[in-house]
Amino acid sequence: MTLERCLLLAFALFAIGVYGALTRRHLVGLLISIELMLNAANINLAAFAHFRPGDATGGATFALFTIAVAACEMAAALSIVVAMYRRRRNLDLDKLRSLREPIEAEPGAGKAP
Amino acid sequence: MHALLPDLVLMALAFFAAFSGAGRRRPNLGFHASWIGLLGVLAVYAVRAFALDAAPVDLFGGAWRIDRLGLLWRVVFTLSALCAVLLSRGNFQRRSGGREALTQPGEFFALLLFSTLGGITVVSARELLTLFIGLELATIPLFFLAAWNKRDDSSGEASVKYVAMGGVSSAVMLFGLSYLYGFCGSLSLDALAVRIAAEPDHALLWIGVLFVIAGAGFKLTLFPFHLWAPDVYEGSSTPLAAYLSVGSKSVAIAFLATLVCGPFAAVRETLTPVLLLLAGATTLAGNLGALKQGRLRRFMAWSGVSQAGFLVLALAGPAPLARSSLVFYMFVYAFANYLAFFVFAIVARSRDEGFSSLRGMSREWPALAVLLAISMFSLAGIPPMAGFLGKFGLLASAASGKNFLAVAFMVLNGVIGLYIYLTVLRSAWVDRVADGEALAPLESGRRERIMVWILAAALLLAGIVPFLSQRIVQLLSPH
Repeated sequence: MTLERCLLLAFALFAIGVYGALTRRHLVGLLISIELMLNAANINLAAFAHFRPGDATGGATFALFTIAVAACEMAAALSIVVAMYRRRRNLDLDKLRSLREPIEAEPGAGKAP
Repeated sequence: MHALLPDLVLMALAFFAAFSGAGRRRPNLGFHASWIGLLGVLAVYAVRAFALDAAPVDLFGGAWRIDRLGLLWRVVFTLSALCAVLLSRGNFQRRSGGREALTQPGEFFALLLFSTLGGITVVSARELLTLFIGLELATIPLFFLAAWNKRDDSSGEASVKYVAMGGVSSAVMLFGLSYLYGFCGSLSLDALAVRIAAEPDHALLWIGVLFVIAGAGFKLTLFPFHLWAPDVYEGSSTPLAAYLSVGSKSVAIAFLATLVCGPFAAVRETLTPVLLLLAGATTLAGNLGALKQGRLRRFMAWSGVSQAGFLVLALAGPAPLARSSLVFYMFVYAFANYLAFFVFAIVARSRDEGFSSLRGMSREWPALAVLLAISMFSLAGIPPMAGFLGKFGLLASAASGKNFLAVAFMVLNGVIGLYIYLTVLRSAWVDRVADGEALAPLESGRRERIMVWILAAALLLAGIVPFLSQRIVQLLSPH
């Protein structure tokens, strides 16, 4: 184990997370991708704390706090997931299209509809 | 330790508001406790920030510092939360803009207060971990607030979009912070500043800096990361849209200013082109997006994107000037934005929240149309409104950093900005209601009427009497 390998692993994990966040159309898939990105950062923190000289407790504490913050965030996200599922009976992100930019010149500014 | 007392009172207030809904006999307890408590804490912060001689206080082993800048930011945050509490009251009492009334006010106000505490943590933090926790504490409550109306489809859609963008942005920011820790070997901002000055070209540093700016860019709605804002503003409730545009944005810019004017000051030369590019692209994108809008809140979202560009521009100047111009501008921006949102809330009482609902306002209620004009002119930066002094400060900060080309580009953008704000005023002043058609009459309550007059007076006073802006510059200048 060297620092470089840990950093490569973390970067690969982060890249997979970004790819997932961009391509997944299912809400839970998206949340898992976010979790991957957060954990990539955790690997970084733990690796730096172990291999680099300096304040090792700082990095380890940061990783612990990150886990707690990620749990809070997922609790918020999952409660929204549940509310959405009760309402719509599906979790497909592509179906979330009622809020969007006006497609062409709306009646909007000025003209009476 | 007594310096920490108002922050603790705010935290106790948040818990109190959260549990105030449990007793069913006093449904208004949470609201009254929240606004009176916020007003008291705001007064304490304002007196300490503007009047008393506040020497910096270090607490918790140097992780938490209360200084003049932090106190000024606290005034901005509590002011924004106070306006949001007063604005949201109406949404609990009746339908608004064709949507159901909200329920559970105590919990709503508690989450607003927790989010404010997150902002206070950000401006007090002297190390990366506290900074990150503060930013998350400021953001996570807003996920719930966006989803508040469970039975409303667009509120659900807005919250899903917000939680997705918020989650990705915190992950990106955390990834950047982990590289900064790896580069420095310590979490303290002072140690980071020393390390950056010693080794300004290290690869780990620049990976970290770019990820952190991208993460903050999501929250500040900077150019490539701004697309969530219009959907979220439109789908959630009016008070939350107002809080997102002022409170959440001021936390994000305070976070960015803490890093860019603090530890990153040693590499400002290299960082400036990135900031200027972001600023120019953001303002242009915001202005273009606002051109063809028909919905009021969606318009305010694009206007907020355009204003965010100006905020980032100020970061390209020398640190004291950048800080003072940002704090003053956020005051002005809070007054102007909440004024606009209060006017929209009055309109939404009986009508739909679109531009077409503003028609005929100058005939039906001239004073309200004048107040709307004051707000829009201030946002556009026209003297004698305070927005002019605010924008002038931001541009002067960037110009002191010798970024004349960028300043010229932003001034041109200001002209487009004037046009987009005039489209709102055209609806209110020029457009008439068609003959056969009748709009529901405008209604308002006493609270809304008092608030619009106070906010408009504050905008005019801060614009004509340069007391506030000069005092902030004087307080934040290095001695």
